[in-house]
Amino acid sequence: MKKPANYIFPLALIFAGGLLPVFLGAYPQAVARSVFTFMALAISWDMLLRSGQISFGIAGFFGLGSYTAIILSVRAGVAPVVAMLSAAAFAALVAFLLGFLVLRLRSTYFSITTLALGEIFKVIIHNWSSFTGGPEGLVLPQVVFGGKSSSLYWLSYAILLFAVGASVLFEKSKMHFSLTAIRNNEIAARTSGINIFANLLIAFTASSLIQGLVGGVHVMSYGFAMPDTAFDANYTLLPLAMALLGGIHSTWGPIIGALLLGVISEYLKLMIPYGHLLVYGLIIILVILFMPRGIYGLIKKERSKRNG
Amino acid sequence: MARIETKSLTKQFGGLVAVKNVSFSLSSGEILGIIGPNGAGKTTFINLISGIYYPTSGSVFLDGRDISTMPAHERARRGIARTYQLIHPMESLDVLENVMIGFIFAAGKSLPEARKSAESLCAEIGLSQLHRSVSQLTMLETKKMEIAHALANGPTILFLDEVMAGLNSDETKAMIGLVQRLAKERNLAVGVVEHVMGVIRELTHRVIVLEAGELIAEGPYEEVSKNPRVIEAYLGGAA
Ligand SMILES: Nc1ncnc2c1ncn2[C@@H]1O[C@H](COP(=O)(O)OP(=O)(O)OP(=O)(O)O)[C@@H](O)[C@H]1O
Ligand SMILES: [Mg+2]
Repeated sequence: MKKPANYIFPLALIFAGGLLPVFLGAYPQAVARSVFTFMALAISWDMLLRSGQISFGIAGFFGLGSYTAIILSVRAGVAPVVAMLSAAAFAALVAFLLGFLVLRLRSTYFSITTLALGEIFKVIIHNWSSFTGGPEGLVLPQVVFGGKSSSLYWLSYAILLFAVGASVLFEKSKMHFSLTAIRNNEIAARTSGINIFANLLIAFTASSLIQGLVGGVHVMSYGFAMPDTAFDANYTLLPLAMALLGGIHSTWGPIIGALLLGVISEYLKLMIPYGHLLVYGLIIILVILFMPRGIYGLIKKERSKRNG
Repeated sequence: MARIETKSLTKQFGGLVAVKNVSFSLSSGEILGIIGPNGAGKTTFINLISGIYYPTSGSVFLDGRDISTMPAHERARRGIARTYQLIHPMESLDVLENVMIGFIFAAGKSLPEARKSAESLCAEIGLSQLHRSVSQLTMLETKKMEIAHALANGPTILFLDEVMAGLNSDETKAMIGLVQRLAKERNLAVGVVEHVMGVIRELTHRVIVLEAGELIAEGPYEEVSKNPRVIEAYLGGAA
């Protein structure tokens, strides 16, 4: 059984995160929103990674969510909350259906295919100008909450907490056992009664749902979408680098990694506007080579050493 | 009554026929030895019964029902369990969690129930310090965990693929006793693949012999071991 003390730190952290707008100005709040966006994406990527499936499709589902929300808002005039929820639902639906094809693939074949899917989404949206606005994209008449900084902050914070909640649910439920078993030994998992495909489909759909939701919220907060920005490779690369740096197969890892890299990347963007991608790439390579369990992995190891 | 049966079971890998026209049956309370030289098709036979492979032709029956195309996870839920010749436990899970898997997914228990059941199964089998990582286990403990992992399904049919390999003679003796006790208490139908003939003689009621995928002999060990064709198969394999 867990001691109550184990819950105090996370709860305090959640509370403190909610209070930040009271103390911070608009610029730090905007930085925080960007960090939350990538953090939620990093967490969603890790949720599927626990099954051993490495997706390169984060930007694809993020962009799909962005466009779902903005198209519904601009073309159908739906309420922002409906637009954002639809973004989540549509990304989840597309993942669910495509899952029947791509989840038969493993390792690099799966990774490359998810990358290609994102590109296909982008090409469709790029070329279907009459509906999607084509390469120039779409602009919202008005962003949510009239662009009020603290409200936008709480919105993206709420989405982050949703992602964290989903990830923790995966960690504490049967999903933890099924996904880990699939990652470690898929054949033995099958003869232990695990329906591999069903579990992968749940993980892929849930992770894409979060990515679509984050995209939808992002677009409603910033007010525009273009194919090149909504499907920017950064939305795949940065969450991946964050989760790897912080520690994969956990909820804490992506959180730690996103905090570090998110803040660092803000400085880097100011100092070397085009060089920051290089730095992410370098981090990914160094972490994979020298710290495969990430920062949280090291912390866990130290802790279990101290506990004997 | 036959719990599990095969009729003209055949599995082909490209040009290679790994299992060829094998018909057999196995009843509750029976321990069957499955022997044959290296590459005879013993593991493939177990893979066909547990659903890892589907047959090229022929059928597998569970209690008279054709399950030839039933997915492995459903067979596990219907009482078929097995161990693996090349043991590769879930290294990211500790010992207890490894044993919990079958209870959760094949037996359909909740996490707390599965935890309790796994604890008592481990105690029964003689596995302790359950929060160790699987890499810390001795060979005997690893084999015991492999058996516990299979028994967690709550099987009525159990196939053991060279579960004694790598054990010394005392450990082998203990393992034979364990398998006999478990089979008896649970009234299991057990199929045992072993290369050590002493184990087969002591443990099994009946033996089938595979050679190049074909069933070439069947009967009590004493009888089968005198069969000229079987002797020839083994000598041929050794030469
Ligand atoms: N997935 C596969 N693809 C191709 N050939 C295979 C496959 N699995 C098994 N085989 C071949 O089928 C034959 C039977 O192999 P199997 O592993 O069933 O033998 P075995 O009796 O278990 O042998 P051993 O005593 O060495 O474990 C071998 O020739 C093997 O190379
Ligand atoms: Mg074998």
